[in-house]
Amino acid sequence: MIETKKVDFFYGDFQALKNISMRMDKNTVTAFIGPSGCGKSTFLRLFNRMNDLIPDIHLKGECLIDGQDIYARGVEVDELRKKVGMVFQKPNPFPKSIFENVAYGLRVNGMRDKNFIEQRVEESLQSAALWGEVKDKLRKSAFELSGGQQQRLCIARALAISPSIVLMDEPASALDPISTAKIEELIHDLKKHYTIVIVTHNMQQAARVSDKTGFFMLGELIEFSDTKKMFINPEKEQTQNYITGRFG
Amino acid sequence: MKHTQKELLALRDEVSEMWKLVLSQLEKSKQAFMNRDVELAHEVASREKRVDAFELKIDSDCENYIALFAPVAIDLRLVLSMIKICSTLERIGDFAEGIARHVINDECLQVDRALIDELQIETMFETVISMLTDSYAALESENTKLTGKIIAKDEVVDELYHRAVRLIADYIRAHPEMTECGLNTMLMIRKLERIGDHCSNIVEEIVFYIDAKVLKHGTKQSR
Amino acid sequence: MNRKTSQSLAFWIFRVFGIIVLGILLWIIGFVVYNGIGVISWEFLTTAPTDGMTAGGIMPAIVGTMCLVLGSMIFAFPLGVMSAIYTQEYAGNGFVVKFIRVMTNNLAGIPSIVFGLFGMALFVNTLGFGDSILAGSLTLGILVLPLVIRTTEEALKSVPQSFRSGSLALGATKLQTTRKVVLPMAFPNIITGLILSIGRVSGETAPILFTVAAYFLPKLPNSIFDQVMALPYHLYVIATTGKDIEASRPIAYGTALVLIAIVLIMNILATMLRRHFGKKVKTG
Repeated sequence: MIETKKVDFFYGDFQALKNISMRMDKNTVTAFIGPSGCGKSTFLRLFNRMNDLIPDIHLKGECLIDGQDIYARGVEVDELRKKVGMVFQKPNPFPKSIFENVAYGLRVNGMRDKNFIEQRVEESLQSAALWGEVKDKLRKSAFELSGGQQQRLCIARALAISPSIVLMDEPASALDPISTAKIEELIHDLKKHYTIVIVTHNMQQAARVSDKTGFFMLGELIEFSDTKKMFINPEKEQTQNYITGRFG
Repeated sequence: MKHTQKELLALRDEVSEMWKLVLSQLEKSKQAFMNRDVELAHEVASREKRVDAFELKIDSDCENYIALFAPVAIDLRLVLSMIKICSTLERIGDFAEGIARHVINDECLQVDRALIDELQIETMFETVISMLTDSYAALESENTKLTGKIIAKDEVVDELYHRAVRLIADYIRAHPEMTECGLNTMLMIRKLERIGDHCSNIVEEIVFYIDAKVLKHGTKQSR
Repeated sequence: MNRKTSQSLAFWIFRVFGIIVLGILLWIIGFVVYNGIGVISWEFLTTAPTDGMTAGGIMPAIVGTMCLVLGSMIFAFPLGVMSAIYTQEYAGNGFVVKFIRVMTNNLAGIPSIVFGLFGMALFVNTLGFGDSILAGSLTLGILVLPLVIRTTEEALKSVPQSFRSGSLALGATKLQTTRKVVLPMAFPNIITGLILSIGRVSGETAPILFTVAAYFLPKLPNSIFDQVMALPYHLYVIATTGKDIEASRPIAYGTALVLIAIVLIMNILATMLRRHFGKKVKTG
């Protein structure tokens, strides 16, 4: 469960997020939509503290995961990121074999048991609906896979360390429609075991995969409601204009 | 199977359920009428609410499906035909209720049994019921071969309807004191005729979904 | 003049200049090979100079240059790579890093003779290494340090940020990310830096002048505290200060040829190494 309370976020003097409070429940898919630069990706990256890599940022308000403030003093960022996995916009498998890509997260977290790693790699690839396609070439380079397969490999890689939350930052925007459909199907299946938060430019994608949708504009959360409600009868005119393409 | 397809199948299952309900409403209204069974007629009248509820539910589900999944091609045709079929079924349900009300309110239960037989009302009932059953089977099997036959049955109903107009006119002329009852019976027959028309519409929707051929214009001209 | 002719004229000018550059290069190599090939023999490569360096071979100089290349790389490569990792991966973009970067660039611009003087002052005299392989290697090492740092930084920069994010997002620490993801990917380009550094080191004369190079020393070194001969300095010596410059002229060309060949061979070796690692990076 993720909860934010009155979050303000700044890049230097620029306020990227304004007073955002929302709640994402366990085992649901939440989608963030909005025009480019609206802060949705920034907001997503709060939850695994990926924004920490950027110099000169600061945050006000609270950001809780399972009731714990992840920006509190003494929080181990590495530990947090084990619990909160992330999939990026462009597939970014490491220049290693398919097997080693999935095993990477286990290895850096100190796992040495060979049998366990093998088992976990298989399970993760199964969960990412990739096992059937790669089981005979686990030792081949991950770069030999197609873009869609690479992205599912990245999902498997994130799942291997058993996170409870998976963040996805436009996971299908660099993929063709068939691969996109596979990823969306996967998201729908993963919901049973993971809490998923997805940022997407594609409103139809948000509609297809998510239970709840948040609409961001200029750093503000304009509307956050059930996806069905959002796409049939949104509360705010700005939301309506955006999802119908009348925006701007 | 993809979850979008599952949603679509769930939608279709709902329509099937509604279909079965309307069919049973129609069958019960027939029995109520033929046997002058007022109690059964009451049952039909009270169950009409369920038909209406079904329509609302399916409507909103179709709306959700279109809004969330933006269906195209055969999926879009299925959803569109489901919306239309469901509103048509609802109207058939209304007529079944109307027939039941006729049984409940009819003060002319003494109308000649002979006239009822002469009018072949039972045949009309059976024909429209078989139209509804057959069109359901056509949708379930996604087979459009039978649809021609179903539409042909509507002509039987129309013929009986036109015949009934003459017979009831004769009856009223012969029994002026029974004019009101005669007209009431006529109204009931009119309902059966309308049910037949609606069944034809459903068949057209099924064909639209499966073959993407719009039958409507062709058949309307020949009618 | 229409656009088409102006374009083809421009291309012709570029082409001519390209050919001129290539021509100059081939001319130099051809000139050296033509004049030097005559003296190249097994004996030339494996014996010490004799008769006041007008006869005999150049083996001590070859070995000396090899020692200096190796020594300077052992010193400069790890140091340069590590400091580049620090500035590029860890230090962010603060004042200290900017300062280090400016100083590195300044270091690269200092004439090599100054390094020689500095090396003599620090290593030879102050630290008491004397004229030795150690002092020469350290001096050459400092000389190529900016080059190693710069090329390594570029190599690290060329690794897309997304790989670092990918690794960090899996709970890896910065060190793990650098060691397991960034360095392997940057390695081929770091090797390129190594190649350039080797070329630079093996050709330098000025820094070794006061720190290691022997005028004439027909024996091979026993330890890192020995003096050695080195090819570029040897070339300078026999071409300018020998007893009989005319008589040693062919030997000078032969020495030049060997020097070029050594640099070339090291380049080829390093390229092969780079290819090898490039492949390994893909399949891991």
